[in-house]
Amino acid sequence: MTIGLKEIVFVSVALLTTLPCLIVVFSRNVLYSAFALFFTFLGTSGLYFFLDAEFLAIAQVVVYIGGVSVLLLFAILLTKNIDEIRKTNMMSGRRMALAGAAVLALAGSFGYALRGTVWAQGGNSVYPATTLKGLGDLLLSKYLLPFEAVSILLLAVLVGSLVIARRSVK
Amino acid sequence: MEITGITSYLLISFFLFLAGLLTVVSKRNIIGIFMGIELVLNSAALNFAAFSRLTARNLEGQMVSLFVIVLAAAEAAIALALLLAIYKRYRDINADNLTTLKW
Repeated sequence: MTIGLKEIVFVSVALLTTLPCLIVVFSRNVLYSAFALFFTFLGTSGLYFFLDAEFLAIAQVVVYIGGVSVLLLFAILLTKNIDEIRKTNMMSGRRMALAGAAVLALAGSFGYALRGTVWAQGGNSVYPATTLKGLGDLLLSKYLLPFEAVSILLLAVLVGSLVIARRSVK
Repeated sequence: MEITGITSYLLISFFLFLAGLLTVVSKRNIIGIFMGIELVLNSAALNFAAFSRLTARNLEGQMVSLFVIVLAAAEAAIALALLLAIYKRYRDINADNLTTLKW
């Protein structure tokens, strides 16, 4: 096992992804959780770059950081003042302990399943050097129907969120 | 075992999943629960991309990740619109107090 620059960068990106999750889970202040989530999304984008999925990485930055994080911050802004939220972000200790035990059991079962699993390799296929062209081809040939369905879904979401969140007409 | 192999990605994504699950179960604030759902979706998309690159070596898994990202964004928009509507009506976003639909 060689530790080169690539490995060091990978480990730092992995830490950037996983460590803020702990803040998301355990912080009492929902605003801190939102900012930690921002770093998790950024780290995931870096992991996509490591997986040679450039388009996915950019989409992750645009959609999650530009869209979801900002929506979250606006939701926090529009609902409660931060002082109150600081006290109410966590469940009771008993339920937290139960949830922690369940999560630990899941972790154990996953570790058991992961140990010694050999993943099937995809034959002799070679991963393409640039993914953008291949993604576009797939999107307009094999995945055309899901693509159109998602377009309709996004239109419905656009109209639906406006209808749900608008000021009610008296 | 390489550091940048499939196992590392699976472990990272499993950590994200567990954190998201714990957030969903343990938070009292609806916004907190929503953050947990985002973490879970994020981990699923990461898993698809990792298998697509490192075992299947084609682009089909990335396609699924792309759809997951789109669905997560759609879910975020609707969930936060609902949250604002709930807050307008009840003046509260504590999931323990919103029991109108509870039998």
